[in-house]
Amino acid sequence: MHNKNKRILPFLYLLPTAILLLVFMIIPIIYTFYLSFFDWNLIAPTKEFVGFKNYIDVFIDPINQKVILNTIIYIVFLIILNFLIPYFISLIVKFFINKMQKTYKILFFIPSLFSLVVGAMIFTWMLNPVSGPIAFILKNIGISMPNWSNSGILAITVICFITNWKVFGYNFILLLTGLGSIPQNIIDAAKIDRIPKWRLIFNVVLPMNRGISVYVLILTIVQGLQYVFTPINVITTGGPYYGSSNMIYQTYLNAFVLYKTGTSSALAIVTFIIFLILLFIEIRFVEGRSDKYV
Amino acid sequence: MFDKGKINYWHLLLILVVLIAILPILFMVSNSFKTLRDSYNTMLSLIPLRPTLNNYLMLNRQVNLLTLTWNTFLMAAIVTIGKLLTGLLTAYAFRSYRFKGKMFVYLIFVSTIFVPFTIIMIPNYLVIAKLNLLNNVLGVALPQLCDATGIMIFLKTMEKIPNTLIDAAKVDNIPNRKIFFNIVIPILKPSIVSVGAIFFINSWNEYVWPTLILKDKASFTLPLALQNYISSEGGTNFPLAMALSTIMVILPLIIYLIFQKYILNSISTSGLK
Repeated sequence: MHNKNKRILPFLYLLPTAILLLVFMIIPIIYTFYLSFFDWNLIAPTKEFVGFKNYIDVFIDPINQKVILNTIIYIVFLIILNFLIPYFISLIVKFFINKMQKTYKILFFIPSLFSLVVGAMIFTWMLNPVSGPIAFILKNIGISMPNWSNSGILAITVICFITNWKVFGYNFILLLTGLGSIPQNIIDAAKIDRIPKWRLIFNVVLPMNRGISVYVLILTIVQGLQYVFTPINVITTGGPYYGSSNMIYQTYLNAFVLYKTGTSSALAIVTFIIFLILLFIEIRFVEGRSDKYV
Repeated sequence: MFDKGKINYWHLLLILVVLIAILPILFMVSNSFKTLRDSYNTMLSLIPLRPTLNNYLMLNRQVNLLTLTWNTFLMAAIVTIGKLLTGLLTAYAFRSYRFKGKMFVYLIFVSTIFVPFTIIMIPNYLVIAKLNLLNNVLGVALPQLCDATGIMIFLKTMEKIPNTLIDAAKVDNIPNRKIFFNIVIPILKPSIVSVGAIFFINSWNEYVWPTLILKDKASFTLPLALQNYISSEGGTNFPLAMALSTIMVILPLIIYLIFQKYILNSISTSGLK
């Protein structure tokens, strides 16, 4: 009796999570996969089987092609803004200053407390090309501000910058922590040998910090593409003419605005496959060593 | 050490970063106390020329702040408690038992971080609609009651509990339930507090999933109500929107100020996102 209990117990502890995952994640993924082979509008009683048509649409429809290209632009901008810049700043805080590290940490994190809706509103006001404070300052020194919401690439830049405002502190702290786990004696030894700091960073610190930086880099892409949904929806709703939409936003538009669940589901599946490839990379680099659960 | 007596110019760059982070927030608060005209005429000044509470009063007339705050709080509280409970139970199962397929189950849990919400939104929307939970914060909360990052953090903290402590309790024939509640939970208190705080703040600010489920204004949460103040309904009243934004951030800010040390430490130890 006692022995039997012991066998069942772990599954009892796992049960709530397992049920939730099954009902709200695993079955939905399978159902979305199923929907991706049909034409449907979320309401009609019947679905029409169309085979791979929705997938072909994802790649040959000019709007979707534009959106895929935008997604790549988003990824590049997100890597620069939400990964490289926080990484650079964390290196400075770690190796180039001796005081105030904690103060910077506390202050950098504050925007994380804000909703992206708030961030989107404040920055739309600050960057308003006609009546915003930055346009005002620029006008006084003789520069006119471009109407960024009319240009896809400028809108993408602003949208990425807004998410950067929010997640910068988070990523900064993660990367700084990674740097903190590098043994101090290695750094001290380099100092004694008068090895220049930048060489220490490039030859020792960056390679040693590879695990956590790959983790942050991949999360930056996976979560960043989803974070930008909010400023896109609040500021541009994907415009001008899908110029600031990405695959995540386009999936939403197809499902809940255009009522094309088939196209939406195919886009979602393609996004998921891209994320799974990133997950695979993450496991190779980061979780790879946690074989303790085998 | 080398910089003693000299000004370290790197601080200038870091202060610039602080300004980019903080200035928008100061403008938010400042505008919420400005008249509509002053918010345009004196847009560069952080101190309102004629400070006014009118925006807050007008906001209070236009929306039901109490209901909005309650909806947001209820949703965030349910999500937080759900995620903490499932996270603790799951982590404990991983910490204390050996069973077949453990690695596989663990990898499934971890990989849920990489599931884009777009792939589950249509089916979950249909389920919530079937359950008649549209326009209900329960419908927002229900699909998000478990979270892989929570599981990972709790597991990392639990692994630091020495085996001898738990074995001793087992030798004394203390039931598992008691080991969990009287030994494991108290040790985990700091990470429960910090993870809970972050879950709560994130859920409080959540936007995407609530916009799909909550269409009726009476069921709105604060971020959704704020979005209503954007142009589509004819001309943005910026000071009014900033008043609502300021109200919205009060609770997360209080939580952060109280638990700041825990929160920052917990991000450090775990990579919570």
